Amino acid sequence: MQAITFPERFFRAVTAHPWWVILLSLVLIAAAGSGIGKLTRDTTSDAFIPKDSPALVYRDKVEEIFGLKDPMVIAVVNDGPQGVFNPHSLELVQWLSDEVAALEGIDPERVVSLATENDIEGTADGMRVEAFFEPMPTSRQLSLAVREKVMDFPLYLGSLVARDGSATLIVAEVLDQDQSKEIYEALLALTEKAPVQGERIHVAGEGAVTGYLGTYIDRDASRLNPVAAILITIMLFIAYRSLRAMLLPNLVVLGTVAVALGTMAHAGVSFFVITNAMPVILIGIAVADSIHILGQYYEEAARDPQLPARQLVIRSMMQMWRPITLTSLTTMAGFTGLLIASLMPPMKFFGLFAGIGVAFAWWLSMTLVPAVLTLLKVKPSPAFKAAEPGALRLDLYGRAMRSLGTWVSRNTLVVLVLAAVLAGVGLSGLSRLQVNENRIDNFRASEAIHQADTAINARFDGTSNLDVVIEAPQTEGLFDPERLQRIEALQRFMETLPHIKGSTSIVDYLKQMHRAMNADNRAYYRLPEDPLLVAQYFLLYSASADPTDFEEEIDYDYRTTLVRAKMDTGEFHIEREVVERLQAYLDEHFGDDLTANLSGRVNIDYHWIRRLGESHFRSVGVALLLVFLMAAVSFRSLSGGLLALAPVALAVLTIYAVMGFLGIYLAVGTSMFAAIAIGLGVDFAIHTLDRLKYLVGEAGMALEEAVPNLCANTGRALLFNFAALALGFGVLMTSAVPPLFRFGMLVAVAVSTAFIASMTLLPAMVGLFRPAFVFGKKPQPTHLQTQE
Amino acid sequence: MNSLAVNLLLCAPLLGISLGAAAAELPSGDEIARRINARDDGQWVSRNLTMELTDRRGKTRVRNTRGFRRYYGEERRTVLFYLSPTNIKDTAFLTYDYPDESVDDDQWLYLPAARKVRRISASDRGDYFLGTDFTYEDIKLESKVSLVDYRRKTLGMEVVDGHETYLVESLPVSDAVARELGYSKVVSYVDTGIWMNRKGEYWDVAGNKLKTIHIKDIRQVDGIWTAHRLEVENHKTGHHTVFQFSDVDYEAEVDDALFSQQALRRGL
Repeated sequence: MQAITFPERFFRAVTAHPWWVILLSLVLIAAAGSGIGKLTRDTTSDAFIPKDSPALVYRDKVEEIFGLKDPMVIAVVNDGPQGVFNPHSLELVQWLSDEVAALEGIDPERVVSLATENDIEGTADGMRVEAFFEPMPTSRQLSLAVREKVMDFPLYLGSLVARDGSATLIVAEVLDQDQSKEIYEALLALTEKAPVQGERIHVAGEGAVTGYLGTYIDRDASRLNPVAAILITIMLFIAYRSLRAMLLPNLVVLGTVAVALGTMAHAGVSFFVITNAMPVILIGIAVADSIHILGQYYEEAARDPQLPARQLVIRSMMQMWRPITLTSLTTMAGFTGLLIASLMPPMKFFGLFAGIGVAFAWWLSMTLVPAVLTLLKVKPSPAFKAAEPGALRLDLYGRAMRSLGTWVSRNTLVVLVLAAVLAGVGLSGLSRLQVNENRIDNFRASEAIHQADTAINARFDGTSNLDVVIEAPQTEGLFDPERLQRIEALQRFMETLPHIKGSTSIVDYLKQMHRAMNADNRAYYRLPEDPLLVAQYFLLYSASADPTDFEEEIDYDYRTTLVRAKMDTGEFHIEREVVERLQAYLDEHFGDDLTANLSGRVNIDYHWIRRLGESHFRSVGVALLLVFLMAAVSFRSLSGGLLALAPVALAVLTIYAVMGFLGIYLAVGTSMFAAIAIGLGVDFAIHTLDRLKYLVGEAGMALEEAVPNLCANTGRALLFNFAALALGFGVLMTSAVPPLFRFGMLVAVAVSTAFIASMTLLPAMVGLFRPAFVFGKKPQPTHLQTQE
Repeated sequence: MNSLAVNLLLCAPLLGISLGAAAAELPSGDEIARRINARDDGQWVSRNLTMELTDRRGKTRVRNTRGFRRYYGEERRTVLFYLSPTNIKDTAFLTYDYPDESVDDDQWLYLPAARKVRRISASDRGDYFLGTDFTYEDIKLESKVSLVDYRRKTLGMEVVDGHETYLVESLPVSDAVARELGYSKVVSYVDTGIWMNRKGEYWDVAGNKLKTIHIKDIRQVDGIWTAHRLEVENHKTGHHTVFQFSDVDYEAEVDDALFSQQALRRGL
């Protein structure tokens, strides 16, 4: 008797104690899955930036000094001839301001609008500070008087009121940022019931974006996941037409997703926007192992209907454990590429926990699947009919795949040329690939938040902040007029940069006060020349101001001040130009007794998106390397490793072609496709090579005979494996979040290319190079040879 | 067992009566307000005031001033001269508060660097006073309370800084008044012996806890109970204000001429 190998002993043990195996699996799933309730959501843009990124650390410090928060912004737009300066629109502003102030979670003292703000007006003997809405502008004439006052107040133009008067904002600070989602929803509800007559109302702001994403993640997930599960179950039915083949893979899927999300929760990692893609992807991956096992199981059952269940399971597992283990390892290698090479925490965690999911899917396929199958009575699948004992009749899919194989083995040259052309197109696409990101493009143009952002960017100075922090060497150092003049010059320079329409700083307030103290004479809209007067203007301002009124502009020591410019775009390539030119200006004009440092959203975006390309190509490189190593080791052949890479390399190039020619940017959402596509796509190559090695090297077939045979059986299983993945990623294309849509599309393209290349290019290359690991071994006596 | 139950049953009405009696013994909110406002706070006063303003990060601004106040019937005039820091020295602030609600108060400010007295328009009652955590209304009332703005209810008694106080809840009479004042509720701790507030807690118009004013170092000067230290903490902004009074004098008559624009310019 031959010595029993470890895998065989393992599967004998598993099938000997099926109930214990099932119990163990369920306990593991329950233990990990118990944490899912603890999952927390993190939809902030900052989540994508490493916590220790210097730009982020500095920005947090700046926010702390100046007490900056991300406000909610409500825009009232009226395209009528008087813009918002008509009695009804102004009354609406008053109504919204009152209602917003009364909302839970909003700081009523920090609601700023035309209805809350005062006009500072110089008079012959002094200064009048009076609400713009005093008296309430109930007539057309009074409304136009408000317009006149506002248009003469430079600080509010472009920030609180559109320069053309067509829109105005209500800006509200949130007491607790964690409530963004609830407050955003409450604001939306408020705008629904607002008494509108021709006005349009938009809700925007960084807080709103965060809140919006929270809502949409939930809505998206509750749609995507069931759809993916149902589609895949239907596909399983088509493949095997049996109940167990529909239910068993779903059990594996359930366990896999529960363990991946559960360990994530136990580890205290948040659910990010992109985490939404993980369950869908895991559904596609987890089901693949079962597809291959069931394919083998039904094939064996059809060939030998008398075989008892346990024998049948052991025999199938002995055939499948190796390719399944190998493909699980390579998929994990792809995710590991993300884990170690991506710079963005959500991507890293995606790699880590998806990898854990893949490992657990493998474990369930090795234990739970054989254990359950052992308990079930053998029932042949209608899809696998035995024509005669010992032989197998192919179904439609098997026959189609076999025809493909026959065609490939006769047209290797065509295959090779087509692949080379595709690779060439891919390389040219790669040369056109642009790294870019625009946060608002993460939303469909039809979404409320996208429209709000567009409307505000078009009518106001913009929604993206670019800040410069100026620091003087000593307390009260900013009373010095010479220093203030340098800040003023900086603002003028900033306003010459593209897409910066306006900026504000303490300088603007001082100029406004200087003018008001001089009977509103416009000639005095300039900085005072006496440092004592600067100090006294601050005291004058405080005569009726909240003690923390200037908090966002200047620190309590009058030593550090914030200059804030607004950009009307969040597009990276524009942000890059602006930041680099501004930094050059600061290097030239500051750094002596006044230091100047960049901060704000624009600066943060610049600093981390700059590294997006690097992060992307690093993760692609790491994934390719790991996949190559695994394939090379398992085939004990360098050429085996290289061959396994060929289809995925072509797949990645195809994606670059799609991106390059369709103008899809390499952005945050799309940057992680390649590593995942490599890990998934290589599975087809491995199954193909493993089977070819067996058919040619061990069963001694000629290549021309082996390729159609390979396609008919392994190819059929791979077809359904591919269908599962393509469905999983295809479902992502129905996501309401555009990055998930693009991500799903690109991976679907990659997986398709990898599948087709594995079925065509790979056999052609094997024929061309005749690698030793396929052909080298001596033919051995055949057993279990599949016949047509 | 039984007898205990019977005893409890018998005692229940008695307990109820005695509790009711205790509640009845508490003076009503209006009564307390009347007693507070009846307290003498001198026809005039002169004093030094140090304002210590601290932001949430612990940065502090200290301003020394000398202030005067005098009643002309119901009309109240105050003037405040800044003594330090140097860059705002001699800045002065003059206010006439008129009893008639419909007449706007008058305010003038003298900025020495501009060498100009400027009339500045009246502030709203809920506006903050000179960068402190007090509103103009808080400052104007000083140790008095408004009888028309609030409805009051006595909630009970509590000990503050070792003194018995009545706990009085004041709610603005209307939303409009609440918005004007910036408060939706005030809870005051009124000393039962001298009819002075020892503590006040304030809620903003949306019901968020806004600030706490703590009145300390209350002692008699010239026979008038006088608070020497007021501490305010703003719970939302983390900003603090401390008012420290010294050299309080109710006896020396405050000259009418001090409450004029010339006096602002002349300085002390």
